[in-house]
This record gives sequence, C-alpha cells and structure tokens, in this order.
Amino acid sequence: MVSMSGDVATCKSEATVVTDHFPVGLRVLVVDDDVVCLRIIEQMLRRCNYSVTTCTQAMVALNLLREKRGTFDIVLSDVHMPDMDGFKLLELVGLEMDLPVIMMSGDGRTNLVMRGVQHGACDYLIKPIRDEELKNIWQHVVRKRYNSSKEPECSGSLDDNDRYKRGSDDAECASSVIEGADGVLKPQKKKREAKEEEDTEMENDDPSTTKKPRVVWSVELHQQFVSAVNQLGIDKAVPKRILELMNVPGLTRENVASHLQDMQKFRLYLKRLSGVVQQQGGLPSTFCGPIEQNSELGSLGRFDIQALAASGQIPPETLTALHAELLGRSTSNLVLPAVEQQNLLQASLQQAKCIPVDQVMAYGQPLLKCPPSISNSKHLSQAILSAEDVHSRFGSQRAKNICLGPSSNPIGLAALNSNMLMAMMQQQQWQKQQQMELQHRQSGPPEVNHSINVQPSCLVLPTQLPGNFQVGDSPASISRSGSLSKSSVIDYGVLSPQSNNSSGVVQVLDRELKPECGLNRLPSGGSLSRSCSINADNSVGLQLHNSSSAFGSSKQLPALIPNHLGSSVPYYINSSQVLDQGHMRNPGVGKCASIPSRFAVDESDSPMCNFNTAKICLEETKVKQEPNMNVMENAKVGPAIFQKFQPGDLMSVFSD
Amino acid sequence: MEQIQRKLAEYTASLYNEKILDEQFIQLQQLQDESNPDFVVEVVSLFFEDSERLLNELAKALNQTNVDFKKLDAHVHQLKGSSSSIGAQRVQRVCISFRNYCDDRNVEGCLKCLQQVKIEYTLVKNKLETLFKLEKQFVDAGGSFPVV
Repeated sequence: MVSMSGDVATCKSEATVVTDHFPVGLRVLVVDDDVVCLRIIEQMLRRCNYSVTTCTQAMVALNLLREKRGTFDIVLSDVHMPDMDGFKLLELVGLEMDLPVIMMSGDGRTNLVMRGVQHGACDYLIKPIRDEELKNIWQHVVRKRYNSSKEPECSGSLDDNDRYKRGSDDAECASSVIEGADGVLKPQKKKREAKEEEDTEMENDDPSTTKKPRVVWSVELHQQFVSAVNQLGIDKAVPKRILELMNVPGLTRENVASHLQDMQKFRLYLKRLSGVVQQQGGLPSTFCGPIEQNSELGSLGRFDIQALAASGQIPPETLTALHAELLGRSTSNLVLPAVEQQNLLQASLQQAKCIPVDQVMAYGQPLLKCPPSISNSKHLSQAILSAEDVHSRFGSQRAKNICLGPSSNPIGLAALNSNMLMAMMQQQQWQKQQQMELQHRQSGPPEVNHSINVQPSCLVLPTQLPGNFQVGDSPASISRSGSLSKSSVIDYGVLSPQSNNSSGVVQVLDRELKPECGLNRLPSGGSLSRSCSINADNSVGLQLHNSSSAFGSSKQLPALIPNHLGSSVPYYINSSQVLDQGHMRNPGVGKCASIPSRFAVDESDSPMCNFNTAKICLEETKVKQEPNMNVMENAKVGPAIFQKFQPGDLMSVFSD
Repeated sequence: MEQIQRKLAEYTASLYNEKILDEQFIQLQQLQDESNPDFVVEVVSLFFEDSERLLNELAKALNQTNVDFKKLDAHVHQLKGSSSSIGAQRVQRVCISFRNYCDDRNVEGCLKCLQQVKIEYTLVKNKLETLFKLEKQFVDAGGSFPVV
C-alpha cells in the first residue's frame, strides 16, 4: 500500500498484492449515455470483481480521469454519445492518460470498428455485450503495461511523479503494475508547496527504491539540458548521453529521462491540440473562435505548461525564460506585476487555447519576478477554486471564446510560461524540420504526415512516442496520432475555456449527489475533491439495500482494498467492494464509496449539462505533464510562430 | 404455490417464444444476485423511463417541418441499444428498420416505424410488468429463484 507520508514508496508491496489478486479490483471507468446499457455493464463488471465507475457523459468522464489520475486502469466508452464523440474521448484518454480504452457500440460496421482501431482503441465490443467479453478486458491493461515498461525511461519518470501521493514526494512506483497502464508521466497533481526552489535545486537522490528527490528544472538546468540535446542531435539524445554532457553533479539519468519525456509528451500533446484546433472537427463554434495559428501554439501549450509548472518541476523562472526567448526578449523584460499574475493565472486557467502569442508580448512586462507561489500547484488549485470568480470577472467572453481578443484578455502567467516552453521545444524541432513542415503545411491535413515525419526527428525518443499512444500493438499508432490531432484535441481545447466551471462542476455534483463522503482525497484542487460527491447517494440508496442484505457475499474483493486505499484513495474505488462490505459504506471513512451508477445515471439533464461545459482545463493544469509536446510538428502552428518571432538567445542554443 | 410456479414458467416461456424477449434477458436475470436482488426490475424500469423519453423525442423530431434525420437516427440508435441490452427483441428489430428509413430520409417510413415501435414497446412493457407481478407472487408464496 502506498503510504501517505512522503517517504519511501511502498509500491513494491502494492505490486505484489496486485499480482496476487489481479485482475480482481481492476478499476474500470465506463462511459455511456445509455443508462440501461450502463447499468447492465456495470453489473457485469462487478460480477467480474472489477471496481466500476460509470458516467453518462464523456466530459464528466474526462474530468474524472483528469482529476484522479492513476485511479483507473481501463476505460470503456460508447461510440455514440451526445456530448462528445466516443472516438474523441478515446483519443484524449489515450493521449492524456495513456489508459487502454475499449469502445462499445450497437453498431458493428467495419468502418466504425476501423475508426476505433485507428483512434487507438484496444478493443471494440458490439452491443449487446455479454459478460464473457468483459471478463478479459484486463488483458488490455496488462498489455499496455508491459509495453510501457519496456521503456527504460519508464521507471525514470516515476521518480518525479507520484500517483497517489497527496502531499508526499515521489513515488518510485516502477513496479506499480496496475498503475503502469496509466502511463509514464504523471506529474503530481498537487503537492509542491515546497516546490518553490530557486534554480538548480537538486537533492541528491537516494538509490533506487527510496524516495527520489525531485529535480527542479531551473532555467540554467534546462538550458544545459537543451544544449546537451542539441549537441547530441535529436536522434542521439538519449538520457544517458544527455546526462553525461550536462555534467551536473547529483543529476541522475532518471531525472534526465523524465524531463526528456516531459518535453516529448508535451510537444506531442501540443501538437495534437493545435492540430485539432485547426481541424475544428467537432469543435463547437462558440469554443473555437478565430484561432490564429500563431496563437494556438502558445495557448495550447499553456495548459500543459501549467501542468508542468504545477508539478513544480519546471519552475516559473524557467518557463518564463523560455517564453521570453520565444518572444525574442530578454527575460528581464517580461515580468508581470504580482497582482496581475494571480489574475492572469486564474484567467489562463479558464481560458482557452487561443492566446495569441503576440498578445502575450503585449504585456511587455518582465515575468521573472512572478512570485513562485503563482505557479505553485496550490495556487493553481486556488485559482481553480476561485475559477468561478475569475470567470465572472472576465465575463462570459472568457467562458466561451477560445480566442482571446487583443490585450483585453489577460493571459496567465502560466500561459506565458507555456508559450515559452513550447516555443523552446518548437525551436528545437523547427530547426530540424522546418522544411518538412512547410511542405506539409501546404498539403491538406498534415497530421498524419507530421506524425510520421516528426517521430524520427523529434526530440522524443522514438520508442517513447508510440508508447504514449500505442494501445496494445496497434500498428496504426502513427496514423492514429495523426488522427488524434484531428479530433481529440479539439475537445481538449474546448474544455479549456470552460474551465471556470470546475467549481461549478463541483457544485453541480454536490447538488446532484449528496456528497456524503467528507473525505477529500483528491490531491490537488480542493474544489475538485468535492467531486467525491460522486459518492452518489442516489445510487447508494439503491445499492445500500443490496449491500445491507448481502454481506459477505461471495464476491469479496479484499485484495483490492489495500491496493487502492493508498494515499490518494480514488473516489470511485471499489464501489462493489464497498457494497459487499457494508460497513465500508460509512461515509467519512475515506473510501467514499461512490456508486457511480447513479451518478452516472444522470436523469436530469440540466445540472449535468454543466459538465459538458465544465472544462477540464483546470484539472489539466494540475495534472501530470502528460501532454506531448509535438506542437512543433504541426506545420500549421509551428512555422507560423517561428516566423512570427525571432529566436532569442536561448533559442539559438538549439540551432545546430 | 405450484400453480403460481407453473404459471410463471409458462408465461416466461411464451415471452421467449413470441420473441418478445431474447437471451439477453436471461443474461440480465443471471446478473441478479444477493447484492443486487432487484437488478432486473431496476434495469427494466430504467429501460421504460429511457424509452418513453426517446419515444417522445422521436415524435417531436418527426413533427418538425424540417426533420432532422441525424437527430432522429441518434435517438433510434439509442433505443435500439437499450432494447437490445435488455433483450427486448421486437423493439430492437423495429429500430433497425427505423434506422433504415432514417438513412433514406423517408419521413413516411419513419412515421410508420415510430408507430410500430410504440406498439412493440407497449407490448413488451406490459408483458414485463406482468412477468414481474407473477414473479413477485411466486416469491411471496415462498418460491425462490436459483442463484447463478
């Protein structure tokens, strides 16, 4: 069981438990707008001794996944859903959380199944679904895990992340079996109050399983990193060599690997975001205002950057510097007054993607001086909490418009940071791929091409990139990533502007479902923790009958409990177990037994509709740095920005 | 008691024979257990609620001057999905033809199908309600269903 202290991770024991009882307790999230199917599947999964959480809306599901990273092992999603195309959800989940996703549909036509495969589904079930089909879904979790764990970087990244830990550091959960599927990079959601180190703050890390001190990638450190990478060349930029070149005492290969992966993921993620925005596939018009190419890059990256910033690993100074470089200014020029910063941060949290970089420049104030606390995840949380205020402050315009208008739109510090970081990464890539991108830009949807072109040359280690998206052994990973950018990000971006609703979401949740669980396990944003209210009493009511009458049922899942009752006890955990063990149902005991079925069974549309708009960008910021940083690859975005701004000194470092 | 039991058995058999219900319903029954003793009733009730909502939506959609076939299709698709999940075979079948008419943008055909769907739905609803009543009588009389 993972301890809550900040000390040595006890993932080993967790892994052991998991192995012994696997797949009992597999944590499944089911998304389907059809309540009948949902209830049936839920019951089937419970019979398989899985831990089930249900949702009727894709947005809600995404929220859940984002808020509670590491609390689900696999996602089942219907294809046809009113608020979001199942394939989009599929892509987003694969992109952000790297979880295996199984699609379901009553429609089993080949073309649909093909789409599923292309978007990365690890399986496609045709309704009506039989329980035998559900019994073996665990294989997808394991498979993914094995694929991920093949990456040498995997364990490396773990030292910078922690899964369940709320306030604790690290998590050397290299062996975390169940969690492995969640992906490699999971920046901590919250933590980091202690994060505000300046510059090169690296503690010497202890060997292996003990807690690994987190490395803060200061500006200097990052520069060293970047120079090393450039020196080595994209293709040869492996953590080991980078480490050698950097020659920084105390820095480990794992640190470097993790950072590298962060960058990679971020870039890729950004790429998809921008790519999708370009496509505008399912993007509601209200969300996608006039998105400028150059701005997309910056804005899209912002949230990821926020996530990065929130994780504390890339301190604001670094991001600031990066941004400054992007804008072609010295860092000293870009500082926002402290007052503004908070506002901006909040605003940025809500705001959508489209923040024209040049507008960022318009601020023309030195960023460096921003109080470290701003980028603190805690503040992000606070910002999230007050998102509503901010939202109201900024008016509906913020809520809906992705594209910020000129100067009137405050831009979050984090946004700036993200722009910088993004730009930095872009620069790296652009140097290498400019030609290709320009070429592709002319052609039609370049995503697929880009993906293919990018991979070899991008900073991302080739093995890692596919790993992010690859579900199982999908040979279509490349094309998939292409398609990903088409559709997945759109929604992701769409979510952003609506982020103000996070508290709204919570509130709705509270209304809908009496939050009986007073235990806020949610690591970061306090407001989000209230979503623990998902411990729907509504459904609980029904279930309670059952549980009270059916104790000690044969379907006991004792093994699960210890696994999941880690520091960050997921809300949805073990609802079935909770049922079976009636006593567990007592609220406040921490295991907020949520009965997702009811929560999911969202009879009244209106309150839940808010979820649709309740964007997750806030969560995103707190979440791990999963997003990939492939923005550069997106021809449309990349070159635009590139052309727009002169590479600063920092950027020039990247040019070979 | 035996009488009730027999009645129940016969009735249940007839439902399957007449294709009002199919094997999926059996699956549903198998999912019911001690921890979910009213599972079947619960799900079926959900189905009733959801279907009635969908039928209303369908009627509304077909009432428009400019019928939105996409929306229509989405509703039918959902109805098809839920009916297939509980094993309401006849409802499901009508939904399939309904969808074909939607694809053809045939309003007449759609209206006809809507009528048919309503009929089949009402039929399965009545049948299921009767079934539940019989089951309750059976249980009240001391009978019990074998737990899978």
